[in-house]
Amino acid sequence: MANKSKKWSNIYLIFVFILMYAPIFYLIFYSFNKGDFMADFSGFSWRHYIDMFADTRLMQILVNTFIVALLSALIATLIGLFGALGIYNTKQNNTKNILLSLNNILMVSPDVIIGASFLIFFTMVGLKLGFGSVVLAHIAFSIPIVVLMVLPKLNEMNPALVDAARDLGANNYQVLSRVILPYAWPGILSGFFMAITYSLDDFAVTFFVTGNGFSTLSVEIYSRARQGIDLSINALSALMFLLSLILVIIYYFISNYSSKGSKKKRGARMVVHQ
Amino acid sequence: MAQPIIEFKNVAKQYDDNIVLKSVDLEIEAGKFYTLLGPSGSGKTTILRLIAGFLEATSGDILFEGQRINDLPPEKRRVNTVFQNYALFPNMNVFDNVAFGMSIKGKKKSDIKAKVAEMLTLVKLKGYEDREISELSGGQQQRVAIARALANDPEVLLLDEPLSALDYKLRKDMQYELREIQKRLGITFIFVTHDQEEALAMSDWIFVTNEGEIVQNGTPVDIYDAPINHFVADFIGESNILSGVMRQDYLVSFAGKEFENVDGGMRPNEPVEVVLRPEDLDLVSVDDGKLVVTIDYQSFRGDYYEITAHDDDQNYWKIQATNPAVTGERRGLFFDPEDIHIMRLDESEEDFDARMEEYEDSEEDVQHES
Repeated sequence: MANKSKKWSNIYLIFVFILMYAPIFYLIFYSFNKGDFMADFSGFSWRHYIDMFADTRLMQILVNTFIVALLSALIATLIGLFGALGIYNTKQNNTKNILLSLNNILMVSPDVIIGASFLIFFTMVGLKLGFGSVVLAHIAFSIPIVVLMVLPKLNEMNPALVDAARDLGANNYQVLSRVILPYAWPGILSGFFMAITYSLDDFAVTFFVTGNGFSTLSVEIYSRARQGIDLSINALSALMFLLSLILVIIYYFISNYSSKGSKKKRGARMVVHQ
Repeated sequence: MAQPIIEFKNVAKQYDDNIVLKSVDLEIEAGKFYTLLGPSGSGKTTILRLIAGFLEATSGDILFEGQRINDLPPEKRRVNTVFQNYALFPNMNVFDNVAFGMSIKGKKKSDIKAKVAEMLTLVKLKGYEDREISELSGGQQQRVAIARALANDPEVLLLDEPLSALDYKLRKDMQYELREIQKRLGITFIFVTHDQEEALAMSDWIFVTNEGEIVQNGTPVDIYDAPINHFVADFIGESNILSGVMRQDYLVSFAGKEFENVDGGMRPNEPVEVVLRPEDLDLVSVDDGKLVVTIDYQSFRGDYYEITAHDDDQNYWKIQATNPAVTGERRGLFFDPEDIHIMRLDESEEDFDARMEEYEDSEEDVQHES
């Protein structure tokens, strides 16, 4: 009985994953098509990849997208980290809840609204739309994510650690750099990677604030798709999928490093002791 | 008398309407082992955190070697704390934890290394420098926490229920070791605990706290033998507390009879409470007993039997005996005059101390006579 229900739950799980990944693999599969359309696979070829790499505009946009993602994630992590510390250190429960709610509202409000309001704001301030406006917008919507990733880590920390550090003579800066930051490091890291992911795949907000000369991948793919899909977009998708996979793997290793590191060291020492 | 190293003058602490400490006065002399003993919520940890600087007093003065330190932040005070759950830094190994305070102060690497080795030897963790905190047992983490605090050469070491998470056997060992460390270093220890056994075993001087006040302070023997009131008598050790009447000096009436005792200084016929410790009571034959009791129940406690009995006035008695008794049997209950301790109702600590002083000599006389 238990075995049977386990079997069904496995089948269900497999079904869910197929549903999620089928469109992506479908896209990647046809990126290797010799023909020009996403129907009748006429043979294997790299030609769409060659087309893609030859398309300098697309390559430029790819680089831009990554620069925007890294830069905005970096700055958002910095700002979000101090935001989380600020919320963590708020003594008054009411104020704390209000701050947290204000943070969460930004998470749930529709991208279109955020995008439109940024557009209005930037034009009002007189900021030229382009690289700068996109980075600013991405920083803004990434901060709440970083706050949400860092805050649980801070809350999980034994507050006596801060007392202990001060007791041993550490000033505020030393408490932060030697105790709080190392402790919250995994949260900071996940916040950073989440911010990169959000920035990479954001379409709606970016769409509003790109302006004329500048574009990111999602906006570019959208505008190209309106004229009919070119299979080099499929090739690009395959490339992006691969890059995301690498990012996930890097993240996995970094986040496991701290906890597994000590165990490895211990293993090595035990061997030495023998 | 030498200047106290720490002094509280009318120190009070309250959060909004919640008073956690009512006007506390205390003096701590250098080089002794002090214990703050009380039930949870009695204010003992509050006192400790005020000394450490994690809390600010609402009113009153906290003095360190005669200097007011109310506004001094914790990192500038010459005290260090061993925390209840150790609060070791999980991202550092044993060496870095113990070296933390010294590296903050920018000491030389070689000095730090020597000091860490010395401290780890002191707490019997020599050679554990490279271990991660997560690899240590609770007892070992406890030792690292002590080493980390002592590595800063504090004048006063504060210990916040440091042994409460350890098992019984380990706790006993650590009590002994802490006492050893304190004697060897000669610095002041202030130990917070709710465990009266621990307090009695380790301390030079005990402060008993209850509901935000220090209700009694004295040596372990003083506090055990002469508790000031019902709370202290009940909280420290097992006790039989009966209401009685002080007929005159050295004569008290309770359980329907009059007994010779060693206390005095009260009004004739003053209502009082009488304390008799279970281990001072002996079960004898009915003819030899001062009271006659009927055995209700007994339970085996390993090194003694705890016997519950009632007398003819329906007062219940706890008795500790090495030999078992028979349930339902009538036995005599015997105790000496000096086993009877009298507590006046609502007596202040000053009055109590003065009365104890006055009757101390005569108490000895009576003991010699008997």
